[in-house]
Amino acid sequence: MDFLVSSFASALRLIGSLSPDVVDAVRTSLSVSAGATVFAALLGIPLGLLVGLSEFPLKRLVVTVLNTLMAVPTVVVGLVVYGFLSRQGPLGVLGLLFTPTAIVIGGTLLAAPIVANYSLASVRGSDPRIVPTALTLGAGRLRAVGTLIGEIRFGILAAVIAGFGRVVSEVGVAMMLGGNIRGYTRTMTTAIALETSKGEFAFGMALGIVLMMVALIVNLFLNLLQQR
Amino acid sequence: MYRLHSIRKRYGSIVALDIEELTIVKGRLYTLTGANGAGKSTLLNILAFLAPPTSGEIFYSGKPVDWNRDSVGDYRRKVTLLHQSPYLFGGSVHDNVAFGLKIRGIEGEEQRRIVDRALDGVGLQGFRGRKARELSGGEAQRVAMARALVLKPEVLLLDEPLANIDRETTGLLESVIAALPAQGTTVIMTTHDPEHPGRLNGESIFLEGGRVVTL
Repeated sequence: MDFLVSSFASALRLIGSLSPDVVDAVRTSLSVSAGATVFAALLGIPLGLLVGLSEFPLKRLVVTVLNTLMAVPTVVVGLVVYGFLSRQGPLGVLGLLFTPTAIVIGGTLLAAPIVANYSLASVRGSDPRIVPTALTLGAGRLRAVGTLIGEIRFGILAAVIAGFGRVVSEVGVAMMLGGNIRGYTRTMTTAIALETSKGEFAFGMALGIVLMMVALIVNLFLNLLQQR
Repeated sequence: MYRLHSIRKRYGSIVALDIEELTIVKGRLYTLTGANGAGKSTLLNILAFLAPPTSGEIFYSGKPVDWNRDSVGDYRRKVTLLHQSPYLFGGSVHDNVAFGLKIRGIEGEEQRRIVDRALDGVGLQGFRGRKARELSGGEAQRVAMARALVLKPEVLLLDEPLANIDRETTGLLESVIAALPAQGTTVIMTTHDPEHPGRLNGESIFLEGGRVVTL
């Protein structure tokens, strides 16, 4: 128990002293997660809306595939993207492996199915009268869909935040595609894994606390928006 | 205003509507009656250009209706459907009433004046800033009515607009609806109340099993 208490105290001191290693890991984590979330939203929201609002053959299959993609292990995504970005891979010439961009690409592929599925669920759970009401008041098809998005904006926002949560908390993609390079591609999660394995438990705990605080702040922000 | 010729609407093997000939004259009020499942809502959706018939032809203002996306958009700006339990968008009463005005490019002071006048007309003075989702059922019905009326539609389609509201609101809305034909608006309203045709000085269309029955 003393070990945990002293580690916790050391972790708070590390956070309080703004240790450069902690700050670097936090900054990298937040920037690659934000980047991946933006791209995942750009892919996932239209995909979820399209699937939710249209009827087409094999729709059920598409929904099943989207659901399955949510459960793909992060290391599998890391492995596939690694195959593309590695020196011998089709995109190896771009030299992206072990860069923050590589983590953003992997994170985007991880988060996009989540954003798409949550957006799809928002459309399915929305009031069926929204689009016909907008249409009968003279809105075009595009504007009616825009109105629908406005009405389910909190569901869409929750989708984006869930995507962010997936990316910021994962280890596999960041480790395999980023390479855990100190001050460059080391994220909070890869730093926690590395430092704990080296016996630097307090450092790992400091980053764990920051990670929890990020999750708390994001959720508080969501709640604040929903109350408006 | 409308002429329907050999209109059929099928859902799978079920024929929901089967109308050989129906003419709706401009500037009149019609009440559409019939049992549940008689095809009233299906007919309103077709007349509102929200759903095309499976077969048959519709003429609007003397011209055959073209169901392609652009043309339908033009028709929808002339015809407004008010649902039985209308959906109010999130935001204020003003946002709701002004929804169609914004689409038509009416903004600013003019928009505000039109919204205020419409709310006065349905007895909701001072409701402009209220949150739409916090209104009672009757108030919401009146906001939806105001939202439709500000558009001055050529045709106003009403799906049981007086169901589930109190007597006072019913009286107010009946007088608003009854005044519309004199302003040039054609009104088609579904109802279960057999006294409505007489009270609203309207003509009656009776549907049974998707067919128009002559009484």
